[in-house]
Amino acid sequence: MYEQCFSPRGDRGGRGGGRGGFRGGFGDRGGRGGGRGGGFKSPDGGGFRGRGGGRGTPRGRGGRGGRGGGGRGGFGGGKRVLIEPHRHEGVFICRGKEDALVTKNMVVGESVYGEKRMSVEEGEMKIEYRAWNPFRSKLAAAILGGIDQIHIKPGAKVMYLGAASGTTVSHVSDIVGPEGLVYAVEFSHRSGRDLLNVAKKRTNIIPIIEDARHPHKYRMLVGMVDVIFADVAQPDQTRIVALNAHNFLKNGGHFVISIKANCIDSTAAPEAVFASEVKKMSAENMKPQEQLTLEPYERDHAVVVGIYRPPPKQKK
Amino acid sequence: MFSVGTIVRNRVFSAHGGEPGNPTVSARGSLSLLPRAEDSQSEEKLSLLCSPTGSAFRHIHRTVFKMLVLFETAAGYAIFKVLDESKLQQVDSLYKEFETAEKANKILKLKHFEKFQDTTEALAAATALVEGKIGKSLKKVLKKVVAKEAHEQLAISDAKLGGVIKEKLDLSCVYSPAVAELMRCIRSQMEGLISGLPARDFSAMSLGLAHSLSRYKLKFSPDKVDTMIVQAISLLDDLDKELNNYIMRCREWYGWHFPELGKVITDNLAYCKTVRKVGDRTNVSSTDLSEYLPEEIEAEVKLAAEISMGTEVSEQDIGNIRHLCDQVIEISEYRTQLYDYLKNRMMAIAPNLTVMVGELVGARLISHAGSLLNLAKHPASTVQILGAEKALFRALKTRKDTPKYGLIYHASLVGQTTAKNKGKISRMLAAKASLAIRYDALGEDTNAEMGVENRAKLEARLRQLEDRGIRRISGTGKAMAKADKYQHKSEIRIYDPSADSTIPSTSKKRKFEELEGETSEQDPVTPVVKSKKPKKEPPAEEQEAETAQTESGKKKKKKKDKRAEEEPEEPKEEEEEMAVSEPTEKKKKKKKKKVKEEEDE
Ligand SMILES: C[S@@+](CC[C@H](N)C(=O)[O-])C[C@H]1O[C@@H](n2cnc3c(N)ncnc32)[C@H](O)[C@@H]1O
Repeated sequence: MYEQCFSPRGDRGGRGGGRGGFRGGFGDRGGRGGGRGGGFKSPDGGGFRGRGGGRGTPRGRGGRGGRGGGGRGGFGGGKRVLIEPHRHEGVFICRGKEDALVTKNMVVGESVYGEKRMSVEEGEMKIEYRAWNPFRSKLAAAILGGIDQIHIKPGAKVMYLGAASGTTVSHVSDIVGPEGLVYAVEFSHRSGRDLLNVAKKRTNIIPIIEDARHPHKYRMLVGMVDVIFADVAQPDQTRIVALNAHNFLKNGGHFVISIKANCIDSTAAPEAVFASEVKKMSAENMKPQEQLTLEPYERDHAVVVGIYRPPPKQKK
Repeated sequence: MFSVGTIVRNRVFSAHGGEPGNPTVSARGSLSLLPRAEDSQSEEKLSLLCSPTGSAFRHIHRTVFKMLVLFETAAGYAIFKVLDESKLQQVDSLYKEFETAEKANKILKLKHFEKFQDTTEALAAATALVEGKIGKSLKKVLKKVVAKEAHEQLAISDAKLGGVIKEKLDLSCVYSPAVAELMRCIRSQMEGLISGLPARDFSAMSLGLAHSLSRYKLKFSPDKVDTMIVQAISLLDDLDKELNNYIMRCREWYGWHFPELGKVITDNLAYCKTVRKVGDRTNVSSTDLSEYLPEEIEAEVKLAAEISMGTEVSEQDIGNIRHLCDQVIEISEYRTQLYDYLKNRMMAIAPNLTVMVGELVGARLISHAGSLLNLAKHPASTVQILGAEKALFRALKTRKDTPKYGLIYHASLVGQTTAKNKGKISRMLAAKASLAIRYDALGEDTNAEMGVENRAKLEARLRQLEDRGIRRISGTGKAMAKADKYQHKSEIRIYDPSADSTIPSTSKKRKFEELEGETSEQDPVTPVVKSKKPKKEPPAEEQEAETAQTESGKKKKKKKDKRAEEEPEEPKEEEEEMAVSEPTEKKKKKKKKKVKEEEDE
């Protein structure tokens, strides 16, 4: 599982690099190979064209951080960087020579997995942002893919199943901020060690080294949560999410599931796999609301967002 | 599964721990046949009658009875009393009753909240809960709070824990989907229900607990410290070497006094024990040696002592020899102990590898690679010849065939095989072993299932190979003769002392030299070469048999001699081979290249 998750990374990057010029001008690390490909510079700098223009571009929303003076180093080779808030609260866009998705770093001065950081002075305050690589994080890929809702926002309580080494978790922790909480569940001891180290510095992450199939084993650690994010890459993923939702997800709470078709059934067509997973969800009182494939960042991946035990208003 | 009888009972309803209400008798099924459930005896019968399903709520849904709920938090144990049982039945709409704190408090009342004193206590409690056991603190609380009013049911969130509570405290427990729903509702209203536990405290407590729990988990997982193995196997080899030296010294020394004993008692440990006990050989007739020796050998010893040709020695000499014997015995004992330790360690760290090749070979492989993780990075073909580097590079230099096995030769699977199939089996074993190594080094769970499975497969394959050989033999007389020759050789090899000693240096090197000879033999080259080989072989083999028994002191000399002898031979052979078969040469080159690549890694 662990390997499944990470080994194909290099080739993923390579793929992207070859094509070049598509949306998402991310050259910071490029998931190894991606950056090297050099094809990432989106010509117009508009790497954020969401899917369906109707949803509105992030530009111009909110007055915050609209202007960032003198970001040092990092993006765009020392040129001034501009931070804009993204449509999703807590997520930002860094505009420079190459655009990048960023989150506000909770632990200033430290990178979690070697990602680039850039700081921006805003009046007296100095705010640091961390680049979020869509090739390394499915949530970032979903955001760049133009997902409508991630439900993960400042102050939210999130349960993250399949936290691995805490790469994405650290960004989720940035998003929810000090008022929020992330319960990061991971059962691999090897990754657990890294996760624990990330959690040491970020007090809003509650690390849980357990199998997500047995939610009762961590029942005393977890309160009700607003969102469950799952990326466990297991064939029985939907069941795992359902189990946790029954225990910890509040009524009307949301789930965000990343599905890797290969992990569930490598013989069937990806679309068929996604459809059958969506069907399984409906049987568990989980109502899917949105589905999105993660091309070009991941092959045969989909993200499904939905609501758990929706309030019975619609009946009327 | 969950086997606690969920007792369906008629109950005195006491609302606020106060006045008794009217006992209500249910009109349902078997219940009505039974007397009122005031006495515990009839209740027990009842619990037998009722099926232990999780549907307790549905059965009793018109019965009024008392129910407690155990809810575990990071801050402590909360025990609630259910005030309005009837609401619990409507599982689907239960959440509505928990929408506000006031509403929730109408259904549940906090009966007791046992706060954890400190993180140590919390950690102990949490680890117990994770494993589905009742910790000390939980037991105390349950005894204090629940047992006071007997005949209560306890709703819990883990079926396994319910079983343990039932067994240890004789409390009946309920665990059902309805209970799970109730727990969910409690969780959503935790702050409102548990007074004196603000959300901040709760998250602080769970953060602290989560960290210590994770650290505990990571620490106490059978941590893969393979340096222990590397050290232990090296020490084992050192001990064997030392032991061998001491024993030789002892035999030589005492041999002056009683030379016949050395011939009679071949087992080293028995020899030392006998010497220690007997001392001067004149005492032999009067001492009882049955403790160390079998009867007939004891008799033989006694006989030999009477007609011994040894010289007399002084009391002091005997004293010193005895001292040496003590040492040998002590070291032997320690060696056994160390071996057991190594076995256990190997089983814990690399169970699959151990099953495949045995703990000694497994440990050697690990030690050779430096660590289990390093070993896991080697390809199977490298694992196959690990330990035969010298032979490999010599083979590459002299353009001979590369060795077929290294350390893996000592694995029992290879040992069982006839010489003809040894190469094949060692290749297959190496392939499976490297799989096992990777599983052990990088897999999450630690069981040896995979190793056992693969070993069985290899054994089946081995049998198949050997059988096929026999069948073919029965076909042609020529093949039979050939097989005979091979058999003969393998018999000699079985005598190799490495089978019972773990000293690698002496036997191993010899083995690889020997192997090389063999590899070229096995090549399907034309009869011209083959006919020559038998002539060449016998002297070499004789020499090997000899060296196996010589003392370590003479080893170096012998080796030199041998090399000197071998070297002039090699080129000749090569020439022949080259002349005879071009295609094999090409193949060989390819093979060599491959091996080289691996070495570079
Ligand atoms: C695809 S990786 C997650 C990567 C992560 N979301 C990120 O972007 O950084 C899946 C992880 O889920 C973990 N996992 C798989 N099954 C699990 C289970 N039953 N319970 C908890 N974790 C599990 C694996 O160990 C692996 O680290």
